[in-house]
Amino acid sequence: MTRYPNMEQVTGDFYTQNFEKGAREGSLILNMGPQHPSTHGVLRIILELDGEYILRCDPVLGYLHRMHEKMGESKTYRGFIPNMGRVDYGCPLPWNWAFVGAVEKLAGIEVPERAEYIRVITTEMNRITSHLLWWGAYILDLGAFTPIMYAFDEREWLLDLLQTPTGSRLTYSSFRVGGVGHDIDDKFIEGLKAFIPYFRSRLPMYKDLVTDNIILRKRVEDIGPMPLDMCRRYGATGPVIRGSGLAYDIRRAEPYGIYDRFDFEIPTQDTCCCMGRYKVRLAEFEQSLRILEQAVDQIPDGPIIMDKAPKPSWKPPKGEVYFAVEGARGKTSVYLVSDGTKSPYRVKLRAPGFSNLSLFAEAAQGTLLADAVAILGSLDLIIPEIDR
Amino acid sequence: MMDKLFAGVRIRCLEKADYDKTGQKWSVFLAPNTLLKAVARLNDDGWFLEDVCAVDSVEGFLVLYHFDHWQKSGRLSLKVLVPHDDPRVPSISGMYQGALWHERETHDFHGIVFEGHPNLIPLLLPAEADFHPLVKDAKSRLPLKDLMVLGEVVSCEESIQALFPEEAEEAAAEQGGEEAEAEAES
Repeated sequence: MTRYPNMEQVTGDFYTQNFEKGAREGSLILNMGPQHPSTHGVLRIILELDGEYILRCDPVLGYLHRMHEKMGESKTYRGFIPNMGRVDYGCPLPWNWAFVGAVEKLAGIEVPERAEYIRVITTEMNRITSHLLWWGAYILDLGAFTPIMYAFDEREWLLDLLQTPTGSRLTYSSFRVGGVGHDIDDKFIEGLKAFIPYFRSRLPMYKDLVTDNIILRKRVEDIGPMPLDMCRRYGATGPVIRGSGLAYDIRRAEPYGIYDRFDFEIPTQDTCCCMGRYKVRLAEFEQSLRILEQAVDQIPDGPIIMDKAPKPSWKPPKGEVYFAVEGARGKTSVYLVSDGTKSPYRVKLRAPGFSNLSLFAEAAQGTLLADAVAILGSLDLIIPEIDR
Repeated sequence: MMDKLFAGVRIRCLEKADYDKTGQKWSVFLAPNTLLKAVARLNDDGWFLEDVCAVDSVEGFLVLYHFDHWQKSGRLSLKVLVPHDDPRVPSISGMYQGALWHERETHDFHGIVFEGHPNLIPLLLPAEADFHPLVKDAKSRLPLKDLMVLGEVVSCEESIQALFPEEAEEAAAEQGGEEAEAEAES
């Protein structure tokens, strides 16, 4: 056999060959990604197809793997915070919170009131921007171009506002151990107060234009059932599990920060399908707005970071700690082992998307290829978070 | 509560962790051969798997399984200590399919072999990678007593207590009776 320079494209690489082993006679093996628009970044899925139906599939990860956990072992506690802005670019503030929260728990650090409020305000804004990004992109996956323009219009407003307390537009790393890095000003509060009613007035339009649209409904209703038992076996969390009827939210189940002070609901849908997950995220817009309203009203004056906040040379006590927060995609947590030196001994990042995506292979089995795209999008994947 | 859940499973050490400091409510040391039995109990009781990871220490790799529950909130951590030269634990992916990827990741990072895993190929590292990035060199490894503390010990075998020398005396004085019971049960 002639040796082609690009032999891998002919025979398939290691993962394809490994996947092919169990293939049925006459089926088609198809590589979707890593450069496929509906895989949101660089996720690759190997599919075995019978006509348009998926016999089985296997996601291949690692194209965006950066080994944050190894970096954690050589950086100082403060120096690792920028990494947290880059794990999940769609919703980095919960990652910030998971890490500083773990360190604060380990060292028994109290965060000033005002900093707690700034954390809640910026995180909830970030949750809205993340859901907007998902909403626009999901509809785009399903073939409608216009909604992402509306979504990004709203998102832009929030990104402009978020520049004040975070200093950036995408990879936020503004939390500090013991507080936050930047204060918010009156202009920010005014802008946010104007945004809340405006965004609320837009939500009915989202519903009329997209949610009730018959084409969307045919694509997502009763597609990709994920019953609770399946969610439990895979450790799915966030809107995925709430779309399957369980009101499980870390902000309630394991309250952190000052979330116990706010009045908000945990939206659920019990249809277990893509539409359920879709509706949960849309309902979460309103709940985030409610939290924002209350937080903006209640925010006290005061310092935004503790006295003598940890410097780069700071050393926490030794010990292990696990800290979880509710990110836009679900349970975002950090497990930290400290040996009492300047750098962590071990950092483990628990990404919600990782567990949510691991469920995909089972959920997509037996569905149409086009429906698999709808299922994939309904999981709200951010690949850098999954690969870490 | 935990004694009941794990009744009949041989536990090397059961401790009630300090939730305010560690974010965990229970910590359970197990031998590799009793892991599946313990995980089956958790599965029947409705717990879900948060993640699987490992910590490299002088005594060996400590493989950690973090579980949580939807209704009764409280993190539980299963800890299995395996030697550096033959790090093997049974795969729990038969019960918790979510572990399929977590175990592949732990295999990538630490080289732990999960026996019975249907597809233990690289997940995040390149297929040709012949190293395990989170394995520490002998010089930077630390003993477990420098990395974690035992909480309120309910029952503990001597082999585990010996790893945490400061705690050993107190715990033995307080829990001597219960330990004997646990031994008898197993």
